[in-house]
Amino acid sequence: MFVSESPATLSQRRSHPPAGLLPPRRRVVPADLAARVRPVSTAASRLLALPGPLVPLFPDGALRRGGTTLVTGVPGRGASTLALALLASASAGAGWCASVGLTDPGVVAVAELGLDLRRVVFVPHPTAGWADAAAELLDGVDVVLVCPPGRVRPTVARHLVARARERQSALVVLVERPGNWPVGPDAVLTVTAAEWHGIGQGHGHLRGRRAEVQVTGRRPAGRPVSRTLWLPSGTGALADVTPDGVALSPPVPA
Amino acid sequence: MERLVAVWCPTLLEEGDRADEAREFTRVLDTLEAFCPWVEAACLGVATLPARGPARFFGGEPALVALLAAAVVEVVGTTEGVRVGVADGLFAALLAARAEVVVPPGTTGAFVAPWSVAVLRRPELAVTLQRLGVHTLGQFAALPGSHVSARFGADAAACHRVARGEEGELAGLRDPGIDRRLRVVRGEVTDGPCQPGFFGGASAADARAARAFARVQHRLGIDAVLVGRLGGGRGPAERARLVPWGSRDTQSSSSAPAGRPGDATGDGGAPWPGRVPSPAPVAVLVDPPGVEVLDASGRPVTVTGRGLLTSTPTRCSVAGGPWQGVAAWAGPWPATERWWSTRRRRARLQIVFEGGMACLLVAEREKWWMEALYD
Repeated sequence: MFVSESPATLSQRRSHPPAGLLPPRRRVVPADLAARVRPVSTAASRLLALPGPLVPLFPDGALRRGGTTLVTGVPGRGASTLALALLASASAGAGWCASVGLTDPGVVAVAELGLDLRRVVFVPHPTAGWADAAAELLDGVDVVLVCPPGRVRPTVARHLVARARERQSALVVLVERPGNWPVGPDAVLTVTAAEWHGIGQGHGHLRGRRAEVQVTGRRPAGRPVSRTLWLPSGTGALADVTPDGVALSPPVPA
Repeated sequence: MERLVAVWCPTLLEEGDRADEAREFTRVLDTLEAFCPWVEAACLGVATLPARGPARFFGGEPALVALLAAAVVEVVGTTEGVRVGVADGLFAALLAARAEVVVPPGTTGAFVAPWSVAVLRRPELAVTLQRLGVHTLGQFAALPGSHVSARFGADAAACHRVARGEEGELAGLRDPGIDRRLRVVRGEVTDGPCQPGFFGGASAADARAARAFARVQHRLGIDAVLVGRLGGGRGPAERARLVPWGSRDTQSSSSAPAGRPGDATGDGGAPWPGRVPSPAPVAVLVDPPGVEVLDASGRPVTVTGRGLLTSTPTRCSVAGGPWQGVAAWAGPWPATERWWSTRRRRARLQIVFEGGMACLLVAEREKWWMEALYD
């Protein structure tokens, strides 16, 4: 009987005495055993895809399962948009996403960013139970976006980071200042500058926000990487900045 | 005050053991929606709809009342089960329905005057008034307003304004839980936490996610875990709604086309003149704060009947906060819906403050509200 040889059976055979000293024993290995004992998560499945314009900001070009990403920025510069965009490809690719504490989510904007609304749940007002709700959700979904109210206690933050690592989900934390999250994350995304385009004094409309996003963190050796992108572009999704600015939506007659 | 038609179904006011009344009432509401899309349930057994538009279309208020009564009788089965009336404001409309009359505009005070003070549904106030020799709403209305407010408090003052025909809405007339109750009856919302494993063809990951959502719902309440749905409309708040996870349309939506990312508008590309163009605001405020908008000379900026601003906005104060300079602005986008009802005449304005924050303001009845933020 022919049995496909896996590395395990080869190494076992090598440790046996040479053939002939012992009567040959027929080893019957189920054909699917190799598949069954393979590690459940391969390197590729530990990564969650990101929208194109965000790929160069991450060392793997993707969001890492079990990791923590911090998104910060002064309100109005697009930190919320950036944090939600991190969920887009995971949700569109049959993964589940959740947001905890993001009050008043704009559902139309979420859909325009590319999230699949069937695979995103919002817990807008978890009140005092935000950390428990986030821990429960890290059990069940692929990416959890958390917007903690104010400064987070170190024990709470460490618990959530550990839960994300244990359950192999990605944790995205949206805070106004990096100091509000006391545990060192894998990456910190900061919107350092932002400017709306397309609107004037009584004419035009908001057609896109050109924003500069900076990444720091321990993974790319602490080296900051900066990138300018449309956050969002005229369609509501993220887009690269091109010299002619084509990402803006066409002007609408007033 | 808005002219309202009230449809009163006396047999459906109280709920029996088998919830048949609520189910029959949803059929009444569906019947009424064939006449006008703005039907509201005030409480179990009482529905209201605006009178002006439908009355004009169906040939006057008496003709509309006859049509509605005939249509509802077919659902309820007995003529005793339906009473329809028209008046200004909800309170008078409810009394008009009980009396089955059409109260001419502007005569609300005279119409409600002979009714007993008991119809205010304030038993303690009614007993006190009757001991004082005030038995009818007319006698109550004749009391000086300042005295009523000083002697009986703010709630009695509201009752007093209603008795005078100055206001139509009174706390307690509407049942705040009726919409949810009817949605449960229609099967759109489940009454308890949703059970994992009830999803057709769900994968292991879907079942795991559903279990996590059910645990959070168990901890924080069913309404705490929401999913978004897209629909038609002009403003960001109208185009989308958040429904509890596990309600009927969230479970069947895996095959439904609405809400898929490619169809971000969710309304099949229907034209919505007056819709604010993309990108959409990332935060849509459930509780919009009031905003003061002033021009360079310090006068308030409003929207004219032709949908233009009276002057150029230069500074704003949100919810009484510090003044912020306006760096750029665009609009207004007028959205005239239900033009016969003044409360729905709106216009939207995009504003970028000097700090870089962009927001969407909406003007309604000469006041500005902050509807959404572009963060």
